[in-house]
Amino acid sequence: MTDDIHALVGAYALNAVDDLERAAFERHLADCPACRADADELRETAARLAGDTWSVPPPRLRGEVLAAIGRTRQLPPVTTAAARPEQSGWRRRLVAAAAAVALAGGTGAAVYAVQEQRVRENGTLAAEAQLREARTRSILAAPDVVVRTAPMSGGGKVTVASSALRDAGVVLVGADQAPAADQAFQLWTVRGGGAPVAVPDGVLAAGSAVGVEIVDGLPDVDAVAVSLEPAGGSVTPTTVVGQVSPI
Amino acid sequence: MTDRGEARRADHLASVPPPPPDAADLVRAVARGDEAAFGRLYDLVAPRVFGLIRRVLRDPAQAEEVAQEVMVEVWRTANRFDPARGSATAWVFTIAHRRAVDRVRAEQASANRTMKVGAASVDTPYDEVVDEVTGRLERQQVRHCLDDLTELQRQAVTLAYYQGHSYAEVADLLATPLPTVKSRMRDGLIRLRDCLGVEVATR
Ligand SMILES: [Zn+2]
Repeated sequence: MTDDIHALVGAYALNAVDDLERAAFERHLADCPACRADADELRETAARLAGDTWSVPPPRLRGEVLAAIGRTRQLPPVTTAAARPEQSGWRRRLVAAAAAVALAGGTGAAVYAVQEQRVRENGTLAAEAQLREARTRSILAAPDVVVRTAPMSGGGKVTVASSALRDAGVVLVGADQAPAADQAFQLWTVRGGGAPVAVPDGVLAAGSAVGVEIVDGLPDVDAVAVSLEPAGGSVTPTTVVGQVSPI
Repeated sequence: MTDRGEARRADHLASVPPPPPDAADLVRAVARGDEAAFGRLYDLVAPRVFGLIRRVLRDPAQAEEVAQEVMVEVWRTANRFDPARGSATAWVFTIAHRRAVDRVRAEQASANRTMKVGAASVDTPYDEVVDEVTGRLERQQVRHCLDDLTELQRQAVTLAYYQGHSYAEVADLLATPLPTVKSRMRDGLIRLRDCLGVEVATR
């Protein structure tokens, strides 16, 4: 594959690759300035093909879209220009890691989740994020990793990749609909017939439809649950919207 | 410049619609949360976003749904637009194309799409509302440059872009080896780039 990976730039620019190839090629882009320049130009070229597809949408779509953006929180700005080259490097690597989960779990939502996670953390706890990424990768790369997926009640999926060797797992939440700005998803573990226990730091950002969390000891639990809570989380789950068994 | 010249120029300008707003400026304003700028951006790109998605999905109802997702995504991620990597319109159409292709493939996974190369060219109805100078010129230029490609290059590029096929599927459809298809996609796009005069600011 590495022999002719440069040759993939056209297919990549046309979106004619699968998730794994995309991840592999984006990893390659990080180290190959020639392909990076080509990819930018060929993507720009491919986008011009949209110029041959004019078709006026029904007028009601405009109103619907404007109403939808009124309910949709924007991603925060990227803070410093200096942080950018490095950030895109991490992002590529983490996306590549997530692609493994997405493929195993059979969902494109997982890739999406990790990309958003990277954006959320960008410019804040950079070192911690890198460490988490390294752990995420190590769990996903474990020889005994088991991937399980379950639907969320409002649409979307929760995916769990767990490894007994690493005694930990990665939980990816990818809801179709973001919660309201004052609500957040929260993760819980369930053992035996016991009450759900809140995962430490297991509350996603308020209003965020997606998130990735590392959970220690995950292979021992019977289920991971996702609930919808007021922003900041609760002591006991309010509304469970998804549940998956790691093994 | 004389008064008469000014007056004539003003007359001339009044008879021509105002120039379309610059997409990059609009995206930057949208990134600051400017909803009015988003409305102008919508008007600027929606016919191409919807047309592209509709062409890939070939189902107007689904295209509407995906177009809405795409425009909301543009709003949400406007801060991620990086002018050094390409134009603002290309950024929007790339999001639209990716979403449309993801949808097509998800459907393909559930109900197998039957598709033949011959049955491929479903023409998007060209609404008279957009029959305006910029749209028409762009359309002509794209078609002219597509005609400039070799047959195999053109098929490889259009099957992927307008129908969301992966290069492996394209290789199947065209009964052509994978490496050849990869190369034709690449050299086809390069030829298109040169024909359309595409440049990205920072190289
Ligand atoms: Zn390369």
